[in-house]
Amino acid sequence: MQYKDYYATLDLPRDASLDQIKKAYRKLARQTHPDVSKAADAEARFKEAAEAYATLKDPEKRAAYDALGRPQVGEEFVPPPQWRHEHAADATAFDDLDLADFLAAMGRNHRGAAHGPVATPGRDYENTVSLHLEDAHRGTTLNLDLADAGGTRTLEVTIPPGTREGQKLRLRGRGGKGRNGGPDGDIYLHITLAPHAVFRADHHDLYFDLALAPWEATLGAEIEVATLDGPVLLTVPAGTRAGRKLRLRGRGLAQGKGGHGDLYALVHIDVAATPSEPERALYLELSRISHFNPRPHTRPTAHTAKETP
Amino acid sequence: MNLTLIEWVWLDASETMTLDELSRCCDMDTDDLQELVEYSALVPLQPATQPPAFSAEWVTPLRTAGKLRSDFDLDLFSVALLLGHLNRIETLERQVKSLQALVPAHFA
Repeated sequence: MQYKDYYATLDLPRDASLDQIKKAYRKLARQTHPDVSKAADAEARFKEAAEAYATLKDPEKRAAYDALGRPQVGEEFVPPPQWRHEHAADATAFDDLDLADFLAAMGRNHRGAAHGPVATPGRDYENTVSLHLEDAHRGTTLNLDLADAGGTRTLEVTIPPGTREGQKLRLRGRGGKGRNGGPDGDIYLHITLAPHAVFRADHHDLYFDLALAPWEATLGAEIEVATLDGPVLLTVPAGTRAGRKLRLRGRGLAQGKGGHGDLYALVHIDVAATPSEPERALYLELSRISHFNPRPHTRPTAHTAKETP
Repeated sequence: MNLTLIEWVWLDASETMTLDELSRCCDMDTDDLQELVEYSALVPLQPATQPPAFSAEWVTPLRTAGKLRSDFDLDLFSVALLLGHLNRIETLERQVKSLQALVPAHFA
């Protein structure tokens, strides 16, 4: 068994008070927590600090640790005989345990399950999976690779139709195996939807951008648009203005218990960047005869400065 | 063919959980969860009903709060405050996603 210097890990003297230990740990945890730090070794450093703190904050574990003396860091040492006694339940695995395992089990035994097998729940897994919109709509099968003590195993999970962004799924009892009668762990899946080239999802509704030519918006049109279940013909009413939402009822994402969300076309009106001469002539004619004012509340005055974008 | 039945549940408002189930999912004592209820940080579906039932939506924020409690050695009252903020972040993230769907791609 290799010795670890927990005081050095937390940068503390060996006579540090509990307050000093707590403060040193919190400072280090704040710097190295994987949610905060992007450093490559952050997680390993955080685990080292947590392991040191778990021992030093507990008077019994700290006393047992201090009784080991001060071997060199990494030096092999033989645990005291009473530690083997403490671990009667795990005697077969005694040689596989490390310093942290002994000290952690010492706490468990002293909390009431003395000298008997300690029921330990299996490990939970948290995975985030990114689904294509089409797969969320129709349902799919995922292969999850889970790394545990026995190596890597693959679990096949069926995702039902109608899954949406942000949903969470719990696969009960499919995580790590429990020990000594402890329950098996669970798997928690966090679902995200991968960005789609056309559609944007809001719950079970879908949105896409519909560009119209000025005459399509003015006169109305029938336009073929894509949906997740194949193209459909969308009727654009005459006089459709930019920013309007045109709804295709029931053409959105499938919902879990039957039914579908809606599909919305968000209208914007586009123009040719370089119109041909005949087009330009027609626009000039239109500007001459039209009384339409798109800015009825803003009238230019003689003092308005002229700016070019 | 070796088929395995996998029991899964959506962790959303359509599923309910007992205090014991919530405790097991979140690795927190039922006493601690009761205290969170007393702080109004954890809210049963119908407060007057016994035994209390909870929306499965609580599992994710409770697991996150429980992990942060363990990582930073937080007291339970801090966990109660944390839960409020985690739920607020979740709500705001949903609102941002909804608004992003409405933003035309050429503005994004």
